[in-house]
Amino acid sequence: MKLQVSSSPHIGTKLTTQKIMGHVCIALLFPTIAGTVMFGIYSFVVVLVAAASAVLAEFLYNKITRQPLTVNDLSALVTGMILGLNLPPTAPLFVPIVGSFFAIMIVKMLFGGIGRNFANPAATARLFLVLSWTGFMTNYAAPVDYSQGFWKAFVSGFTKEYVTSATPLTALKGASGAVPESINLLDMFLGRIGGSIGEVCAVAIILGFIYLMIFKIIDWKLPVVYIAASAVAALVFYKNGWLFILPTLLSGGLLFAAVYMLTDYSTSPNTTIGRIIFAAGAGFLTVLFRRYSGMVGGVSFAIVLMNLTVPLLDRIIPKPFGYVKPKKEAARG
Amino acid sequence: MSYLFNRGIHPKDKKELTADLPFEVMSAPAKVYIPLCQHIGAPAKARVSVGDRVKAGTLIGEATGFISANVHSSVSGTVVAIEQRENAAGRKIDHIVIENDGLYEEEALPPLENPTKMDIFTRCYDAGIVGMGGATFPTHVKIQPNKPIHTLIINGAECEPYITADYRMMLEHPKEIVEGISYIKTVLGAQKVVIGIEDNKPKAIDAMQAAVAGTDITVQKLKTKYPQGGEKQLIHAVTKLKVPWTGLPADVGVIVVNVTTAFVVYEAIKLGKPSYTRFMTVSGKGIKRPANLIVRVGTPFEDVVDYLGHNDYVKAIVGGPMMGLSIANLNPVVAKGNSSLLLLDKSEEREIEPTPCINCGRCAMACPMRLIPMMTDRLILKDKIADSYKYHPQCCIECGCCAYVCPADRPLVQSQRLAKKLIKERMQ
Ligand code: SF4
Ligand code: SF4
Repeated sequence: MKLQVSSSPHIGTKLTTQKIMGHVCIALLFPTIAGTVMFGIYSFVVVLVAAASAVLAEFLYNKITRQPLTVNDLSALVTGMILGLNLPPTAPLFVPIVGSFFAIMIVKMLFGGIGRNFANPAATARLFLVLSWTGFMTNYAAPVDYSQGFWKAFVSGFTKEYVTSATPLTALKGASGAVPESINLLDMFLGRIGGSIGEVCAVAIILGFIYLMIFKIIDWKLPVVYIAASAVAALVFYKNGWLFILPTLLSGGLLFAAVYMLTDYSTSPNTTIGRIIFAAGAGFLTVLFRRYSGMVGGVSFAIVLMNLTVPLLDRIIPKPFGYVKPKKEAARG
Repeated sequence: MSYLFNRGIHPKDKKELTADLPFEVMSAPAKVYIPLCQHIGAPAKARVSVGDRVKAGTLIGEATGFISANVHSSVSGTVVAIEQRENAAGRKIDHIVIENDGLYEEEALPPLENPTKMDIFTRCYDAGIVGMGGATFPTHVKIQPNKPIHTLIINGAECEPYITADYRMMLEHPKEIVEGISYIKTVLGAQKVVIGIEDNKPKAIDAMQAAVAGTDITVQKLKTKYPQGGEKQLIHAVTKLKVPWTGLPADVGVIVVNVTTAFVVYEAIKLGKPSYTRFMTVSGKGIKRPANLIVRVGTPFEDVVDYLGHNDYVKAIVGGPMMGLSIANLNPVVAKGNSSLLLLDKSEEREIEPTPCINCGRCAMACPMRLIPMMTDRLILKDKIADSYKYHPQCCIECGCCAYVCPADRPLVQSQRLAKKLIKERMQ
């Protein structure tokens, strides 16, 4: 009988990269469904196109470089979905296509593929799209109004009959001392606001977070520290800052990024201490950019900037168990 | 209260296969092949030649040097050959082949009453006792540290899945273990003795607690977690002391001895019996009738498997599934340090298909030594030996937690081993 011989350990987890990414996809369905309900079927198509383009981009890259196929690890699907959910519900369909190709081909694969890219592909692609097509990327629609008839509302994205709307983020811009009246915390919590497809509904994002925690896919420290740091930054940067904490956390893509983007394995540090610094820095920068920069949002930019510090943060090597400072060696004779 | 070290993993323990089965004596085969090296250190030197008649317990291999151990025959009969065979690690070493005459005549050392320190030490040496937990470090060396020892820890954690040999030992021979412990304690002059047992073995805890009543030995419940039985982890859990990263337990005044070793010490002193039987678990779905066996050293694994019957299996492991060695065939023989033989079928064995590291950090979160295995793996692949040194591969205890949790099936333990080796070769 032929016996297998291999190094220990001889048993191991059943978890694979593919299963992890599958779980993330499932968790991303929560905000996808919420976005579809809020903005109609067109927004679902945007996410679908982004996801499909990302997978196609990785497939083509594998073929062109004649490397083994990597699409079945599902990580491209995750990147595509995250990018799609970061787009406004009115985006023309070339936007997700261009964005996904950029994210996969340039940000992910050119740097060595899964686990090797240093910047978050979806966040970088979003920044690229904002710079290239600012108009399309800031054209936000109000949630559809189902009282005018379900179907009419549900397909309004295709018929371009949506009502453009300002997002809470725009309303908050420049405010300090008192929260603008248009800000309604309950609407923000449920998602009845303008914004990117995936970011509007806090409830859905929290459900996704719980799902990812149950399956131990993400490290809770990243979102929790990020959110806490954002809250502290809001307290500091705004006059009457405590009034701004909840509006800050619930507006823009902050929660979405906390759960789905900051926790990206490739672009977050390896160690607990590194992760805490990384998440705290990202939270601080997010609010800093929102408050003081010319940009309306700051999440993507903050994440990409902090991604760049990861190689540095990864130089913090924890001391092994039982570490003792090496004594100065006596001069060798 | 249960104690815990940081990190580690919770593999399925699979101990239910054999936990309730009392030890059963397996009769010796017609021929035994006794390895002259069953321990860490210099191989023993053959003391018999072909044609000699020996009894069970006859000294057939003599320790050469301090870190070495005596080897005894496990059956009575005639030496028919001295030949090279592969051991479980795949190394060719000398084996003394003895034809079993079926008489089982025994040759014992004189039993000792009220032994002195020197008597105990000499007996451990004479009886060829080595660590029975798997490390096989000669016990007479271990109990003579050059540093004062305040605490003796008896390792009853048995944290590897499947294995129940120490567990059964604690249920069936608690009194004898305690007696063995008291001898070791005498030699070491330790003030404190603690028996550490994982809390998934309540019966063993009860049995040992009953056996230590009236002595100053205590039993401590430990959290069930792998690698609780790792020396450094166990010491930390019991004493809160951290063994220095490059040091030995004696550096913090502690010695760890396995429960079965304590039993063997008892046998050697009280009955004068040298170490030539092995208490082992034979388990896994590949074994028809999993069992806890008492096997004579030198019995080929093949005979053990024939004795219990087998189903289809794809892998044979000597030792536990986390740290044991997989063997290419069943020719190697049972040696003193083999606490188990496992035959795993397809459903139990892990199929390894390495894919790129996704940088998820699971390996680092599982490492009980607080290393970052993924970095060593990555740097070794690029042949950056000096850089990998910064990640302290020399601290790796090869427990396998990192590779166990890795979703990308990275060969993390091999990388650590390779890094250790290359650093030794190139940096010194
Ligand atoms: S690096 Fe070594 S000590 Fe750490 S988990 Fe892996 S095998 Fe165990
Ligand atoms: S567990 Fe595996 S995939 Fe995850 S970081 Fe470690 S080596 Fe990479």
